[in-house]
Amino acid sequence: MKQNLTVGKVIGTVLVSLFAVLCVLPLIYMVAVSFTDSQSLHIRLSDLKPDLSNYVYALTKRNFGLALKNSVITVVGSCLLVDVVSTMAAYGFEKKPVPGKEALFQGYIATMMIPGQVILIPMFMMMNQAHLTNTYAALILPMVGAFGIFLMRQFMVAVPNELLEAAEIDGCGELRRFVTIVIPLVQPALITLTVFTFNAAWNNFLWPLIINTRSEMAVLPVTMSTLSSNSTTNYGMVMAGATLTFLFPFVLYIFLQKQFVEGIALGGVKG
Amino acid sequence: MQKTFFSRRRRQALIGGAYILPSFVLMFIFNVSPIFLSIFYSFTKYDMTAAPVWVGLDNYIKLSQNKYLGNVLTNTVQYVLITVPIQTILSLLIAAFIAGSLKNRYGSFLRSVIFIPVIASLIASAAVWDTMYKPDGGLINQFINLFGAPSVNFLGKKPTALPSVAAVSIWKSTGYYMVIYYAGIMNVSTEVQEAAIVDGASPIQRFWYITLPILKPITYMIVTLGIIGSFQVFDLVYKMTGGGPGRATLTVAYMIYSYAFQDKRMGYACALAVGLLVVILLIHLIQTLFFKERDAK
Repeated sequence: MKQNLTVGKVIGTVLVSLFAVLCVLPLIYMVAVSFTDSQSLHIRLSDLKPDLSNYVYALTKRNFGLALKNSVITVVGSCLLVDVVSTMAAYGFEKKPVPGKEALFQGYIATMMIPGQVILIPMFMMMNQAHLTNTYAALILPMVGAFGIFLMRQFMVAVPNELLEAAEIDGCGELRRFVTIVIPLVQPALITLTVFTFNAAWNNFLWPLIINTRSEMAVLPVTMSTLSSNSTTNYGMVMAGATLTFLFPFVLYIFLQKQFVEGIALGGVKG
Repeated sequence: MQKTFFSRRRRQALIGGAYILPSFVLMFIFNVSPIFLSIFYSFTKYDMTAAPVWVGLDNYIKLSQNKYLGNVLTNTVQYVLITVPIQTILSLLIAAFIAGSLKNRYGSFLRSVIFIPVIASLIASAAVWDTMYKPDGGLINQFINLFGAPSVNFLGKKPTALPSVAAVSIWKSTGYYMVIYYAGIMNVSTEVQEAAIVDGASPIQRFWYITLPILKPITYMIVTLGIIGSFQVFDLVYKMTGGGPGRATLTVAYMIYSYAFQDKRMGYACALAVGLLVVILLIHLIQTLFFKERDAK
């Protein structure tokens, strides 16, 4: 029995490890090809060269430099907007006696069921009429959603009312209470929300594709999608573009792994 | 006293309203009003150059005669049948194995690695897999050639195109569902597990009779998400196949995109989007009913 257990454990460990290798293999391949200049895909180890010419070419000649800038601006703007608006809303919902707030909150939650394609076309028309196509605002403003408000409210529950009341009695004003007491207490949740928004904004594709049609206003995934991968292309350059697109979320993931996983697990288990 | 109490409460309500207001404005403009506008435009003919013209049910009648809808439905069912069972079972087994037998640093390292595809952009993933699928020397065909078998044109041939796109989707989402399952398993009280160990239950028995029943709600959710997601596959199809070959990888999301933004048939595309909304709400409704019934038992 005991022996059986260990054999099962070894086999299981090997299988799960193999799957983990399968998970990263395409990404290792991506990075490897980005360091070759071969037009063919038959890559040998000797083809790998430690120079960044594919990256330099993609960044300077194929608009990846501009796309990188646009992506960074969009992501920073989105994270700031989503963090501020969601935290404020969560505080209002959880700590203030607003009449009808639960009904409104349920309404917010219901919007999570709506598929993006349903709101895409009218949103495109509205942006068009407001002359907001090819702007950062068009990419940033629609990022606020029910998930962030839901997430922040989960954590807002833990902010003790007594603390807020005591501060009020001590003459601490409304806004100061929000900034100096509430925000520091919900900071872990804010980091989770920021990570979540970062990833959503960075990898967003369909909306930026249709709303920002000028190539100077394209974000990384959109620029990436314009690189055709037919046989005349330099695969190294295409994979350099893919690596650039992947790199930023990956670095963030290495440092903030817990927050990445937390947002998903929380949304999943509660939802 | 009474008076000041009320005015204070009212003041607090007003302040609370002010905190909620920015979210309300943004949610109303970008999440709520477009739903109703979509429904409105679905009854019109609109190409964005002239004003929309009311055509009643015309778009819906045309849609019911659309010969590609059959393709899309078959594709979606196939896609669901490939992705949902594999990604659900795989993520469950991996989560259960790591939670049960690899509760050490190596286990958490494996979890971190398996999650990596989740953070990759779909477009970058599509570009990488597209390269790997290439018939003229892509990584996968190089591997197949090692065994003397001829190269396969994965994305260019009808029977393999859809499963090949589905494989990327499985690769990308298994880590996501694994994290949800893992959190669910960790929520199960260890007392129950320990009591079962004392009673001499084998790991497989414990998995089958304790873990699995407790994870049922999560499984329902994951299956629902998988089904809904397969209607909405867009990025992978856009980058890898463009809906082809033939209509072998056409999805509803891709159809909406091409009617609206390539053909400029906004009203018609909205009708299709409203159809999608109805289907997705129905799936949610079925899931909720299923849940209630199970809970009542």
